[in-house]
This record gives sequence, structure tokens and C-alpha cells, in this order.
Amino acid sequence: MNNSARESILSSIRTHLAASPPVDAHPVNPVNPVILSQEDPVTRFKESVESVSGHCIITTDTADVLSRIITDLKARRIANSDNPPNAHDIFGYEVGISTAQAGIAETGTLVLDSACERHRLVSLVPPVHIAIINASAIVETLGDALTLLQKKEISPAITFITGPSRTADIELTLAIGVHGPQELYVIVDGSK
Amino acid sequence: MNHLSSETFKENARAALADVQLRGALKNATSLFGERRKEAAAGLPNWEDLRTQARAIKDDVLLHLDRYLEEFVRNAESRGATVHWARDAAEANQIICGLATERNARIVVKSKSMTTEETHLNDALEAAGMQVVETDLGEYIIQLAGEPPSHIIAPAIHKTRQQIGELFTAELGMPPTDNVDQMTSTARAKLRDRFAAADVGISGVNFAIAETGTIVIVENEGNIRLTTSLPRIHIAVMGIEKVIPRFADLDVFLKLLPRSGTGQRLTTYQSFITGTKRAPADEGPEEVHIVLLDNGRSRMLAHPVTRQSLACIRCGACLNACPVYQQVGGHAYGSVYPGPIGAVITPQLMGIQKAAQLPYASSLCGACREVCPVKIDIPQLLLHLRGEISPRKGSRAERLAFKMWAKVMVSPALYKMSGVAGRILQRVIPISRAWTNGRDLRPIESKSFHDLWSNE
Repeated sequence: MNNSARESILSSIRTHLAASPPVDAHPVNPVNPVILSQEDPVTRFKESVESVSGHCIITTDTADVLSRIITDLKARRIANSDNPPNAHDIFGYEVGISTAQAGIAETGTLVLDSACERHRLVSLVPPVHIAIINASAIVETLGDALTLLQKKEISPAITFITGPSRTADIELTLAIGVHGPQELYVIVDGSK
Repeated sequence: MNHLSSETFKENARAALADVQLRGALKNATSLFGERRKEAAAGLPNWEDLRTQARAIKDDVLLHLDRYLEEFVRNAESRGATVHWARDAAEANQIICGLATERNARIVVKSKSMTTEETHLNDALEAAGMQVVETDLGEYIIQLAGEPPSHIIAPAIHKTRQQIGELFTAELGMPPTDNVDQMTSTARAKLRDRFAAADVGISGVNFAIAETGTIVIVENEGNIRLTTSLPRIHIAVMGIEKVIPRFADLDVFLKLLPRSGTGQRLTTYQSFITGTKRAPADEGPEEVHIVLLDNGRSRMLAHPVTRQSLACIRCGACLNACPVYQQVGGHAYGSVYPGPIGAVITPQLMGIQKAAQLPYASSLCGACREVCPVKIDIPQLLLHLRGEISPRKGSRAERLAFKMWAKVMVSPALYKMSGVAGRILQRVIPISRAWTNGRDLRPIESKSFHDLWSNE
């Protein structure tokens, strides 16, 4: 590797900073926390998922809800993140099922952690993604989720998912399902 | 390729102003983005606090950039990533082409990266014999059209759906249509095939976290996830200013960036990548390379005014807010980075002589400063750069006029006389054509404010 590039960039940074006129240091005021809602996080999570064109079902019988969704979709080729095909074989599947390790109520976000999900691409490549999350794993805010992720050593790949894939690159017209799924179902398991 | 130059901004702008269809597209896009941003910011009652905090974090990073970069590199490498340092664009391209050729790569998929636009990486990869495919829908469209991006977050904003439909029919064999869903699914199918075949995936970086060695990339489409998961090798390219100290700082930046860019509370996907994969995950590249690019950035550290350019998080809000960008669009700037932030970054990156017109492509109205999520004082930067271009710019007549103006303004008697003279002279002497070419000059009111005041 080119050590001289590293040294020359670092030394350029130091030289230019040293040449700079001093500035008054900005005091860093901690941001006031905002209490956005009094609603319970699970209800808010559902509203947030729906506001980004996802479906959200709160249930105590996850297996039943899951089988009903799959029956309604008439899906036959189903990938699942615990028992997955090879990453490159994922393209032929109609539905991908994953769990999520956390949910964020204020944004309707699913958090998938590579320490628990062997194949996160099941949440991306098939046209339908079904995610299952425990109600107790739903936190209030983005900040809460970031804190949670730092409680252990950070995993190599963490993915936040908020709604189905979208683009507005053509005349800012919203199109759902560009490289990712067109439909997202989130099943919140409230049985525990 | 139809690439304009920054050196001819005035001519580029004049041509853009005559393009009715372009101006319609710009008006729709910038006003829609602007409204969405405003609404999203209003949804957070502590928006101003967040901006202040974001800027304070960036200021701290920039004042200790060497230390934070070293911390980031140490942590990323200890988790299995390989870090490369590139002093300039050529060095970055050489590193990336080297990595690809050594591994016998033939197909490269790319997700959107302004930094690789800056280095013209695609040309270098193609010269090295690779097939390069842009996978962001907007980038894919302009790659097919052979054009540069015209907006930081919406690269094909200048094209209508009819133009894109015709392009897809000609280039991809799509049956003629201007249906957006149909065009999107055509692109999806074509690109899936390339994702499956690609050897190397190249992405940009939104934030690099010193504390953990993590890179964070945000998107809506899912192509970044595919680019960074499917190919054997992932190469992430980032400017050295992208580092932030702590994982928890993302709370501030992930609130500001999507709201400022598209007006979303959060974009659809955030990918947090920390080194290479480990069991139980068996998805993801075998190698993760991170290329740190200087390319003129460290020079900007030398003054507090220019240093703020490096706080930019590339949200595009200043473009949408700018009355100049709204009229002329991105291509007229002739640079990778358009709009107000482009007008300050481009002269610093390319050399001030090559982009000497850009700092003047502004009315200094301050709309950019108002919307900037990291509070960059762009008007101050523009003035600073104007000062560097030529400390005594202006014709002799102009200098004389300002000298006289100064004399008049400090003398009440002369000021009063000038009002009287102005009312008479305006009727007989034509005002400079440069001023009245594009706008009308209102006649001076027959009674001055002073007259009205004393009559009261």
C-alpha cells in the first residue's frame, strides 16, 4: 500500500490547519429532546409503517397471519433468512421472510442485524418482503435504536428499512419497488 | 458527451434560460423539493438545535481531521476493511482500477457517488476495459444518455418522462411508453442481470464513523444494498471530510440529511457496514476496500471560511432554494457539484481560475444559508472567493461610480440633490443595457421618502 499518500495527506491536513487563523470555538449545546407523542410505541410504529406505504399487522398469532398473507399472495417460491438459498440464487423468489431485531416507532423503521439475519437480501430482492418483529423490540426513536446497537460490538452489516423500495428519479414521480420489494408486510408479534 | 465547462458559465446560463422545457422541469422539481423540506423541518420542533449541533460536530471533526481519520482507519482495518489513501483523482482511479484488474474483474456495478463523478472514475474503469453500470435509476438514465448529473440527489431532474421513454426505447428496446412504472420496471430487469454478473461493486459514503470504523450509506431504491452485498468486492469511495466522531452522532445527521434532501423522515434504506462479513451472516463481499480521497480538500482547511465547505453533507437543499439554480439548472455550472455549494466547492477543487465565474453566479440572497442543515455560510464563502479571484475587480467606470456613490451617501445635501437629478436623468439617459436586458427598471417615485415624511 502507498504509505506516502497517507503521510502526505495527513501532513497536508496538519499544515493547513496550523496555517489557519483561529476561530472561536462553538459551544456545543446538547439538543433538546423532543417528546413527539404520548401514544404507545407499537401503535405509533404501525402508523409510521403505514405512512410509508407498508402494511402492518399487530397480532398474537403470527403463524396464522403469516400463512394468510402467503395464501392471499398465492406465493410458492418463498425465501427465508434462516434457511436461505445461495445469495446469488435469490433472484427467483416471490416472497422473502425475515425477522427484525428492532423497530423504530417514530419512523416505522425495521432494523436488521447481520449477527441474527444470515441473509438480509431476502428483505430486498423478492417483490414482497414480510418482516416479523417482537412488539417488545420496538423502541421510540432513532436515537434509542442507535444506543441499542452500540450495547454490543457492532455487527458487520446493519440495515435500516423504512417502507418498500422507492424512487422519484423520473420527473419526481413516485414509483414503488425499483430495486427492492414493491410490498412490505410487517407482522408485530404481541404475544410475549 | 455533452459536457459544459465552468469557464463558460455565462454562455451556459444564457442557453439554459432559453430552454423552456428545462425551466419547466426545474421549476417543478425545485419547488416540490423545497416544500417537502420545509414541511419536514417544521415537523421537528428542535430543528434549529439540530443544525447547530451538526455544525458543531463538523467543526470539531475538521479541526482534528487527522486524528479522526486515523481513528476511523484503525477501527475499519481492525474489522477487516482495507483502507487506501488517494491524494488526487488520478491516484484514486489508479487504486480502484488496480484493484479491479488484479482480480480479473470485467463488470462493475456502481451506486450513486458524487465523489466518483468528481474523479471521473467511470472513464478510467472503461479505459481499463471494464463494463461500468450505474445502478441508481437517475444515474442509469443519464449514463444511457451520456450526460453528467444535474442535481446532487436527483441526477436526471432535467429530463422529462417522454425523453426518458424515448431513450429507453432506443437503448433498451422498451416498447414506447411514458409510463413511469413501466420505465422503472424495465430498468429494474436490466440492472438485476448486471447485479447478478458483477465482480465489483463501487459505492460512495455518506458518513464514516471514527469510533467504530463503520461506513453509512443512505438511499431509497435498494441499489446500494445490492451493490454492497452481491459482488465479491466492495469498494467505497469517500472524501476525507466524511468522517464523524461517534456512532451516536448519526442521530443528528440521519435526522437532517433526509429531511433536507427529499423531505423524508428517513430514506428507505440505511446500510451500516463495519469491515467484512462474519458468521452467521454468509452474505456480503469477501473484500471491503475504502478509498479516502483528498483531491484539494485538505487545502480548504487553511481558513475558517473555506473550511466550512467541508461540512457539507450533500443534501442538495441549497440547489432547490437558489434562484440562480432554479433558472439555469445543474449543467450550466459545468462542474460535478452545481448550485450554491458547487459555486464554492468547484473553484476550490478545480482551481479558482478554471471556475472564476461561479462565485458570481449568485445574488447573495442568502436562501442557501437559510436551508443548509449544517449552517454553511455560503454567501460569506462566495464573497471570500470573489476576493481571491481579483481584489480589485471592476472597470474604471464602475470604481468611479462607487466612489461617487460613497460621497453622495454621506452628505445629506448631495443625497437630496441626487434624488432630484435621478428623476430627471432617468427620463433622458438610458440605464446600462446589461441591467435592463433581462428585467425592467421601475421609474423612481415622484416624491421621495423625505418629502413624504416632512409633509406628514
